Amino acid sequence: MPNHIASGLKYLAAIELKKQGFNQQMIADELDIDRSTVSHYLNGRNLSWNSIEVAKTITNLCPKDFLIMTRTLFKDEQKTRKIVSICKSGDYHAEVTDSCIGCGLCVDLCLMKAVSLDSLKAHINSICCCGCLICQERCPTNSIKILEVNNDREYERS
Amino acid sequence: MIANTKEVKDEGFDIKRSAEEVRNLSFKDHICIGCGICESTCPVDAINVAEIGPIVREEVDMPKIDIDEDKCVLCGMCSGLCPVDALDFTIDSEPISNIVSYPHYISSAEIDDDTCIYCQRCEIACPRDSITIARSLPERSDLVTGEIEADEETCIHCGICDEMCPTDAIDVDRTPGEESIEIDKDKCVYCLLCKKICPVDAIKAACRICSYGDYDLNPEDAVTTGSSFIDDETCVKCGWCQEICPVDAAKVKKQYEGTLDIDEDKCTVCGTCIDVCPCDVLSFPESPGPATIVDNIHKDEQYCIHCGACERACPVDAIDVKITNVDYTPTKSKSWIDKFEALKN
Repeated sequence: MPNHIASGLKYLAAIELKKQGFNQQMIADELDIDRSTVSHYLNGRNLSWNSIEVAKTITNLCPKDFLIMTRTLFKDEQKTRKIVSICKSGDYHAEVTDSCIGCGLCVDLCLMKAVSLDSLKAHINSICCCGCLICQERCPTNSIKILEVNNDREYERS
Repeated sequence: MIANTKEVKDEGFDIKRSAEEVRNLSFKDHICIGCGICESTCPVDAINVAEIGPIVREEVDMPKIDIDEDKCVLCGMCSGLCPVDALDFTIDSEPISNIVSYPHYISSAEIDDDTCIYCQRCEIACPRDSITIARSLPERSDLVTGEIEADEETCIHCGICDEMCPTDAIDVDRTPGEESIEIDKDKCVYCLLCKKICPVDAIKAACRICSYGDYDLNPEDAVTTGSSFIDDETCVKCGWCQEICPVDAAKVKKQYEGTLDIDEDKCTVCGTCIDVCPCDVLSFPESPGPATIVDNIHKDEQYCIHCGACERACPVDAIDVKITNVDYTPTKSKSWIDKFEALKN
């Protein structure tokens, strides 16, 4: 079953890339799957609609749950990063204040590899950021603010 | 997800976190002076410094500091601000003192080998036993010959040549009114140490082996050779060597400038501060007679490193140590600058 849901997530990613103008070969390369599989996905074959429904629900979870769930399904951080960055439904802007002590905990924690240290201060690449807030929650000096600048999730928690 | 591991070793501990990079913090108990700067510096309150008095008096046997590895985020601040480098912090095996972005104190202790006369006064004086002076002297059996005489008119009978002569050839009598200096030529090896030490140039000496009779030999060509070594690990940059060096060969740059005040009204002369002080700044005053009651603590402030260990250990809060200036390498990190500046309180 987890494999089916993982396929569902790949399906959603393929559709998303198609929307961005990728051709089938490019999608196959990007997601590291066969071109024929991409073709099946885009033609709506070879996948249960049920898996896609579950995958959609996962992408609409809060960003942290989406990220953790995806990692649990794929058991591979690089693939997780790929799926999450394609299917994430919000854009984020990160701010690090001068109280940052450069402990590097956020660098180690970030599954998206969005954080790097420069001159004893964390720098967060807003493009890679998935908004999971793990860094903000664990920062020992409360120096990180992740701001949501755009959100197109279907269901918003009321 | 990301957890620190802590390994307790014979003398200290290692805390490690490995993910993107390997960060490692280790503690050397024998270097720690118990000043408590790490405790007040730690941004996550992970460090607990024990009461240092009973430990240095060997009443209890426990590590001087303890770090809660669950709280520690391995930022390295405790290591960067430790005045004596008792905490080692490395990133991918590179000590942060070698990493440019991390600030560290500008402090040093050096002996200039060109000036040093290898008299070993600093080795004897060093409160941390950090200095090793090795010297090789000619022996009588090497058939050294030369000339030596002391000018009684110029001599101030300070006794430094007597104290330093490696072969006990000089005898200075400092009894008031009967001052005299005598040189035993049978013992003298013409190393010219006395000539170089003498503050008033009262000794004339030449070694025939190396100067061929030139009476006013350049002291730098003298035959006392040797080497000096300061163990940077144990040295606390207190300045004893600089103060005691007769030829100004030792140069010390302290990490802090500051003041040390003892409130004599509060002080109970218990001696805890004397035991705790890493650089023999504090002592009981020399009493003129056995019946004298010692009612204050003597301080030689020029040797103080203003670490505050005594202030922390004093049971009656009689000591006030203030840091007025800290020299550290530049950094872009405001939080690290704030920590260094916060020492000045």
